[in-house]
Amino acid sequence: MTHKSIAITVTSGKGGVGKSTTVASVGLGLAQLGYSVCLVDTDIGLRKLDLMLGLENRIVYDLVDVIEGVSKLRQSLVRHKEYPKLALLPAAQTRYKEEVAPEQIKQLVDDLKREFEFVLLDSPAGIEGGFRNAIAAADRAILVVNPEIPSVRDSDRVIGLLESANLKQIDLVVNRVQPGMVRDGDMLSVERVQNHLAINLLGIVPEDKRIIRSSNTGEPVILDNKSMAGKAFSNIARRLTGEEVPFLELEAATLITRIKRLFHIA
Amino acid sequence: MAFLDMFGKQKEIPTATRADDRLSLVLSYQRANIDEEKLKLFQGRLIELCDEFGYDVVGQVEVVPQSHERTTIINASIPVRVKKDTLL
Repeated sequence: MTHKSIAITVTSGKGGVGKSTTVASVGLGLAQLGYSVCLVDTDIGLRKLDLMLGLENRIVYDLVDVIEGVSKLRQSLVRHKEYPKLALLPAAQTRYKEEVAPEQIKQLVDDLKREFEFVLLDSPAGIEGGFRNAIAAADRAILVVNPEIPSVRDSDRVIGLLESANLKQIDLVVNRVQPGMVRDGDMLSVERVQNHLAINLLGIVPEDKRIIRSSNTGEPVILDNKSMAGKAFSNIARRLTGEEVPFLELEAATLITRIKRLFHIA
Repeated sequence: MAFLDMFGKQKEIPTATRADDRLSLVLSYQRANIDEEKLKLFQGRLIELCDEFGYDVVGQVEVVPQSHERTTIINASIPVRVKKDTLL
């Protein structure tokens, strides 16, 4: 397999929109497709990717240890047991974002790109130091947005910052879409969000209660074959490899919706 | 009771269009780094400019930033009439 190594930062501006969930599932999806993938948790002080991947008990060293020379890069990586092509470089839990500079992250990611085909950086919320670290080394960015005003506004601000940092390829993932609410006119549609932000749409992920189950068990939702969100993340991973994958039909017409439509009440 | 409420309940007005309109306004201001004070100064300068070019402003000047893709378009509506002394 020949593939130019690429570093992608996953960001949002607003917190709690599903960045880490996206990184964990898309990363695992790429590994399932046979690519070597390293996930870097840049949220120093508030790490969570280890929990999402069920790797929390196997961490010995972290990102700050590597930067400070306490450990070697290779010995700090935590490999996934089932998917050894997937590795995690965890964030430090007891340090501060300000202790790491963007140039140091860039050097680290350049080193990782020699070994991995995909390096996914999980950006912290906000637009301060941690965010600047996460974008310093990126070749492209994925913006995770929820279809609500605060998330879209923050994302628009982030797009401006990414563009000023010369990151031109920015893709949109609209997460937590509730098709029923969109149909009832109470949630911004994906089209509306995309029109506002005017960037390429990479994925649409529905709201899915099964994500809570996956976070409880430490198994990314992409491994749950009953999950629509898992399927959506799998499609995103495939699109990142250049494959053309149609967007999921989020709302299957149930008997009740069909009857409602018959009487023009849905 | 809840069952009976289903029949009597009025359908709520959908809110997504309102959110869409609010977002349009918020984003156009954010992208152009414009606030109300800047808009007022802008309006003042436009009135001065009209005067310089021989026009009287005869109504409310409106300056409205609007977003198109990732560009902001500043729409100015200035009702004017040619100054009388210019016509002579």
